[in-house]
Amino acid sequence: MIQKKICMLGSFSVGKTSLVRRFVASIFDDKYHTTIGVKVDKKIVSANGEEVMLVLWDIHGEDVYQKMRMSYLRGMSGFLLVADGTRRQTLDDALALNERVVQEFGKIPSILLLNKCDLTDQWEIDAAQESKLTGAGWNLFRTSAKTGDAVEKVFLQLAQATLGK
Amino acid sequence: MPTASIFESFFATQGFALFEFRGDGEFRLIGTWPGWCGDMWGDLAAGKETIRLGEVSPFLENFLFDAEQFWNSKGSGSANSGNWTERDSSGREIPLEASAYLLDGTRLLIVRNLSETFDQQQELFQTARDSLLVYEKLLREIQKKEILLHCIVHDLTQPLSAMNSVFHLLEREHLPAQLKKYVKTGERESQRQELMIRGILEAFSSDLAAQNSAQEKTGDSPDLADCAQRAVREFSTAFRDHDVHLRFDPRVKKSNEWRVTGDAPRLDRIFGNLLENGMRYSPKGSTVTIGIEEDRGAVLAYVDDQGPGLPKDQPEAQLFALFSKGKSHSGKAGLGLYFCKITVERWGGAIGAETRAQGGSRFWFRLPRAERIAQSAGDPTPKKSRAREKHPEKQRPPKCLRILVADDADINRDLMVELLERRGHIAIGVSDGRQAVAELEKHDFDVLLIDEEMPNMTGLQATQAIRAREAGTPRHQIIVGISGHATEEDEHRFRDAGMDALLPKPVHMQKLYEVVESTSINAGTPARPHATQGRQDTPLAPAGDSRVEATSPSASAIPHLHRSTGGNEKLMRSLAGILLADAPKALARIGRAIAQNDAAELAAAAHLLKGSLAIFGVEKAVTAARALETMGKAANLREAPLEFRSLETEFELLRAELQPLLTKKTVSKNLRPGVKRKTKPRAKRRKR
Repeated sequence: MIQKKICMLGSFSVGKTSLVRRFVASIFDDKYHTTIGVKVDKKIVSANGEEVMLVLWDIHGEDVYQKMRMSYLRGMSGFLLVADGTRRQTLDDALALNERVVQEFGKIPSILLLNKCDLTDQWEIDAAQESKLTGAGWNLFRTSAKTGDAVEKVFLQLAQATLGK
Repeated sequence: MPTASIFESFFATQGFALFEFRGDGEFRLIGTWPGWCGDMWGDLAAGKETIRLGEVSPFLENFLFDAEQFWNSKGSGSANSGNWTERDSSGREIPLEASAYLLDGTRLLIVRNLSETFDQQQELFQTARDSLLVYEKLLREIQKKEILLHCIVHDLTQPLSAMNSVFHLLEREHLPAQLKKYVKTGERESQRQELMIRGILEAFSSDLAAQNSAQEKTGDSPDLADCAQRAVREFSTAFRDHDVHLRFDPRVKKSNEWRVTGDAPRLDRIFGNLLENGMRYSPKGSTVTIGIEEDRGAVLAYVDDQGPGLPKDQPEAQLFALFSKGKSHSGKAGLGLYFCKITVERWGGAIGAETRAQGGSRFWFRLPRAERIAQSAGDPTPKKSRAREKHPEKQRPPKCLRILVADDADINRDLMVELLERRGHIAIGVSDGRQAVAELEKHDFDVLLIDEEMPNMTGLQATQAIRAREAGTPRHQIIVGISGHATEEDEHRFRDAGMDALLPKPVHMQKLYEVVESTSINAGTPARPHATQGRQDTPLAPAGDSRVEATSPSASAIPHLHRSTGGNEKLMRSLAGILLADAPKALARIGRAIAQNDAAELAAAAHLLKGSLAIFGVEKAVTAARALETMGKAANLREAPLEFRSLETEFELLRAELQPLLTKKTVSKNLRPGVKRKTKPRAKRRKR
């Protein structure tokens, strides 16, 4: 079976682990559990008519306490860049992180996720900004690990993109 | 399975799994196969000489690149994988860490189960990140509150401006002496209250305070002894009521030069705060002495009381901290001394307090001497000068000017017109920017005095329209903006909009004459910044293609937002982002409410949107939202569709103005009128 390494990247507390949990186990926990280091999960999906084993690397969010090791990304086939739509800064951080990744590994299939779209009353990223990102070539989705909105879709779409590579 | 030595067994019980790397991804297990390895990876080692760890653990497979690099380098120390987590057969997470060592040529890999210590580490990180999230949230709340505070302060100062104007007018009427005294008191108190409001704003707004501290001007070089004596006069009654004697220290040499860096109104407030503080702690029958003395080339002012002295367990620095109160809690909000501190330090001075050897306490502040002394102590001119200052309206102006005054507040406009006419000028009043522009098309005026915030067309919009009309011609209308926002930042904003000078509100007679007359004297030069203004190097906006767009009257929200946020660009972007995300939903909600004839829903939705729009100072949009709210409350939705269309149009204009903010461009760039915007000219879009 084909295996594809998919990395979850983004600041701390944007919901990377929750997205993986929702995708792999259909579970959501409202309480924030910070990730230390890397959590590896697997899930078999069907993409482009074939079964693919997605090896999901949920990598801790960067902050003053933990810096991400670029070596974790070695051999990845694609990544989900996650920002918290209720914290504008996490989008800037995600885009900055993307630049580092592209510089190190070149262009790799990726999708930008604006997570926590269930919290619309606290949303800090406006439609214009999203249009701008889309215009800049980003494949962008609003997701919610809580409600499951677009979660399955983004993983499948990324799986397909990695196969097309 | 290899035979386990005692050490190998020990390692296994302590959560270590030891492997020797044999090359080509293969490992030999040293010692026993720990149970936790079995839980994760099954009985991988059973009956096998070597095992391939990379096949069961993608993380280890990845780490082997780094480990092999380390082994090949033949270096000392170790290579560490960092933490990772794998799940065992029951789904339980097992935290792990791997390290590569090179011992006597043997390539060792140690995988460690961190379960025993991980919880503690996890808790530490969890607490730290939870705190970071709380901090972020708090910061956002503070920023929102600061904006609210700015809005409130702005609203509070507006009526005060009108009150000051009324007192100005009353003072010039033929009133009985007693009534004049009351009027004078009212005027003084309203000015004091205005200063207090501004002080609170400065104290609360960190952004503004930081900005001011960097840009603070040296002020009008007041005489500190004059300020101190004025404070004695103003506070003597209050002290008498408390049975405390207040006096100006008789040892102070009045013939000395006591001019310092600073400005008189704020010095008055500093003395006022120190005296209030002294009065609070003074026992009945005691004396509070205020005085001035030379101190190492600077001027030191002091307020000595005969109270209990400073509390022993309260550090001096804490006395001047924000919200700090004395141990007895007899003070107010803890802002007074904090204001004194930030103000004195802003002028390059210092402030402190001490317990006096002879009893009581001394609160002091030291200020640098003014760099340029306007008049020497022995010069006979000051008296004349002071006399002139008292009745400036009786002086003849350098030349009679034609002045157009645009202000929507009748009382402010009438006052300025009257003061200017008394001075010998010809003044005409209009009530908004549009009228001002129309009037200027018909008649010539030497100076246009224009209020910043007016209905129909604001002062800035009118200025832009006038400058657009002048483009390519040698004409240059002198324009003086009037505003309650008079920081240096505002001054730049006005100048960038094409104004020549800024007159702060409430308008004071002397300042009015100074600004109008000195600005007009400079007429004829291409760029005429007012002589009293600090920045003279700001170029006027160049004429060019972008001029049409630059004159778009829609350019009102950003300056307002800039002012409201103290120029905090990140915050401006954030607020604009929030509004642009939320307002369309609110508009949809309003539209639905109208369609469904749901009055209560309309009132609620319009009310919410009105509050958001008010932050951006978009008066027409706020007015439309308010009208819809009123209709909803009155359950009369007949005119609602019309008003709703107006609100939608206004929001579109606002959106067009705010969208450039969300790009990476700096806000200051967006504030410059010469910068081409993507927005369509407002006049064009209004036709839609």
